[in-house]
Amino acid sequence: MTPLRLALALAVVAVLAALPWFGSDLIIQFGINTLLLAVLAQGWNIIGGYTGYASFGNSVFYGLGSYGVAIAMVQWHLPFGVGLVFGVLLAVLFACTLGAAVLRLKGHYFAIATLALGQVMTAIVSNIPLAGQNIGLVLPPLNNDRLFYELSLGLLVLATLTIFWLTRSRFGFGLIAIRENEEGAAVMGVNTTLYKVLAFALSGLFSALAGGIHAYWITFLDPESAFDISLNVKMIIMAVFGGPGTILGPIVGAFSLSAISEFLSSEVTNLAGLFFGIVIVGAIVLMPRGLADIVRNVPKSGWRYFRQNIRAHRL
Amino acid sequence: MDLFAQVLVNGILLGGLYAVMALGLALVWGVLNIVNLAHGAFIMLGAYVSWYLYTGAHIDPFLGLPISAFVLFVLGYALQRGLLNLVVRAPMFNTLLITFGLEVVLTYLAQIAFSADFRTINPPYAGNSWQLGPVTVPVVRFAAFVVAIVLTIGMWIFLLRTRLGRAIRATAQNLVAARLYGVEPRHLYAMTFGLGLALAGAAGGLYGTVSQINPYIGGTLTAKSFAISIIGGLDNPLGVIVGGLFLGVVESLTKLYIGPTYGDVASFGILLLVLIVRPSGLLGRTA
Amino acid sequence: MNALLEVRHATRRFAGLVAVNDVSFTLAPGEILGLIGPNGAGKTTLISLISGTLPPSQGEVFFQGEPITKVPAYRRARLGIGRTFQIMRPFPGLSVLDNVAVGALFGRGGGQPKLALAREQARACLDFVGLSRFVDQRADELGGPGRKRLELAKALAMQPKVLLCDEVMAGLNHVEIEEVIDVIRKVRDQGISVLVIEHVIKAIKSLSDRLLVLHHGEKIADGAPDDVLANATVIEAYLGRRRP
Repeated sequence: MTPLRLALALAVVAVLAALPWFGSDLIIQFGINTLLLAVLAQGWNIIGGYTGYASFGNSVFYGLGSYGVAIAMVQWHLPFGVGLVFGVLLAVLFACTLGAAVLRLKGHYFAIATLALGQVMTAIVSNIPLAGQNIGLVLPPLNNDRLFYELSLGLLVLATLTIFWLTRSRFGFGLIAIRENEEGAAVMGVNTTLYKVLAFALSGLFSALAGGIHAYWITFLDPESAFDISLNVKMIIMAVFGGPGTILGPIVGAFSLSAISEFLSSEVTNLAGLFFGIVIVGAIVLMPRGLADIVRNVPKSGWRYFRQNIRAHRL
Repeated sequence: MDLFAQVLVNGILLGGLYAVMALGLALVWGVLNIVNLAHGAFIMLGAYVSWYLYTGAHIDPFLGLPISAFVLFVLGYALQRGLLNLVVRAPMFNTLLITFGLEVVLTYLAQIAFSADFRTINPPYAGNSWQLGPVTVPVVRFAAFVVAIVLTIGMWIFLLRTRLGRAIRATAQNLVAARLYGVEPRHLYAMTFGLGLALAGAAGGLYGTVSQINPYIGGTLTAKSFAISIIGGLDNPLGVIVGGLFLGVVESLTKLYIGPTYGDVASFGILLLVLIVRPSGLLGRTA
Repeated sequence: MNALLEVRHATRRFAGLVAVNDVSFTLAPGEILGLIGPNGAGKTTLISLISGTLPPSQGEVFFQGEPITKVPAYRRARLGIGRTFQIMRPFPGLSVLDNVAVGALFGRGGGQPKLALAREQARACLDFVGLSRFVDQRADELGGPGRKRLELAKALAMQPKVLLCDEVMAGLNHVEIEEVIDVIRKVRDQGISVLVIEHVIKAIKSLSDRLLVLHHGEKIADGAPDDVLANATVIEAYLGRRRP
């Protein structure tokens, strides 16, 4: 990393950190949402972008993190921090047990199995009295959006630093090797099972923390919203739109898509969802490797870049 | 015991419908290697076509089935030809996402066009039923079951006996083989996707006769179709029938004996178990 | 005798087909063993049984006197078993250098945890196989011959005690074959045992200390190259078919 880039990164973080002292309440709230989405996209990036396992189960981690905080605070009257740790423990436990079982599956099968995990968890939590069954839990309110904002920003920085470390560590190389060719990685000495579970757990850790912060901020959660599968899809889209398997891609994806979606929903209420669908379809056809790849290639090949993408994948 | 028999019959009747729902998904998945996450949304569209035919033109829902199947076939052919063919050689994850994008678009368009209200297709004979000893068999459900089984077996015969069917099956093995049948691959892919959606259209029409419809039913239906395809395997429509019946019965029994909120847990739990224990499906080919 | 690698009565079945049938052999330290046989004779399957990517249906594999039949592939790699793939599957999105660095990072004894040092080792390996000009290229931009060498370099970066080469010369021209033979000889000179699957009879005859012939999954000959190639059964099964 060049000193210039380091300075630039620090400047961006400083500006983002200062934002709550200038922006309106609405901007801060938009900021919290966007930062948490970016954390989720980064979390997904670890298992989906770097390890190559298209997880639809990250919303489970998010839900477990939310419920960890909610149960600890509402049922046991413990502080928020303990709740976060509890949520993370739940998520890691989940990754190491059920996660380990489904990580043996490949491709579509892994994706579908994790999708099913989300549904099963929703149903199970809806029947647990401790978790408030299908009614949910109401947390004690804390009216301090600046705090939530800075927490979210700190978490995003932490997640991004983790991914930065991945790209230059033995662990990260092992994950990338698994993504590129799992059998080839194994015969070169990568403990593929362990690495996949660790990646899943690490991905889950960040998702759970994001869920915990979100639950305390919103002060309410129920199984439907906590394990909402469309949230998982959102993180995937943001990561893929920005560039999966890159350090900054998912952040750029989360920021840009959130901004556009926010703009659209303020203009025409119903259009935001529709827009998301169209963006996915268009992005997959024209820029399957995300914005990061565009930045690298469009200056070189211009509009031909998009035609080349279509040529490479059409029948 | 009587209750058990009744629930069993309900489950079997439901299972037939499940089979048709899953058949289109399994066909597209097995042949084109596209897991169509929008499948349930297309079933939803088929249901609305039937609903409009019935409420608007007074066409009996069962007579309307070929029409909704045809409408969806045309839509499917066009989508594959114009859009999905552009990405079929991309990594599997991209095709998964693009069909998800389609599902989002379809759901929103449906919400704008049809509103979020629940709709039902209620022909005059909707309340009729037969009494077989202790068991009540609703006429509509029974008819839907019969049509579903006929469609599934018809699809099986089509794949085995017709030239196009054989070409489609050959494509499932490899693309070069399909060329030997003298069929242009782009056309063949579009035909296959069209057929998958035609089945979804018919399934939607049947679904509308036995259940309420709204724009948001797609996700659950896709998930159920998955579960059935996984249980039954992708290479044989008869496996899908078994998978559909199995899921229908298990779901009905779970709702009765464990509790109504556990119906979906049962289907997804089974899906997970099957995936972990035997990823190629209970009846499928060994990987 | 103290064999480095020993396979005892290994059998592998696939849904009714017996790919490897009751094969036993040993590999001594510093030996080059050629493994030949017609297409579908079970050569690649045998290598997979040794490297651990496939479990045997029956039989056992020993490495340095220890049974490793139940040991997973990654731990066999850490013990010092390196292999190349016939169907070359590099890590396509990584640079040539980083492809090889993975071997150095993980390889024998758990590998070299420092990325910078691993890359240094990788550079040396690429130098050794003659790929140093391509270090920064993406692996999937290499041509066929380049990929063959890359496979070798990846396995060598693991610093293995035994190297299993699955058709590293197929599709190469005469000059390139000579170069690869040279590389394999140099590998052996470092004390590494080599098992080579090859179709090019002339090449393997001059390279190998010993030849082993598989036919329909069974071992039909094992011995000095000249003797084996003069063996009537071998000529009928293998050479006879190729030159009718």
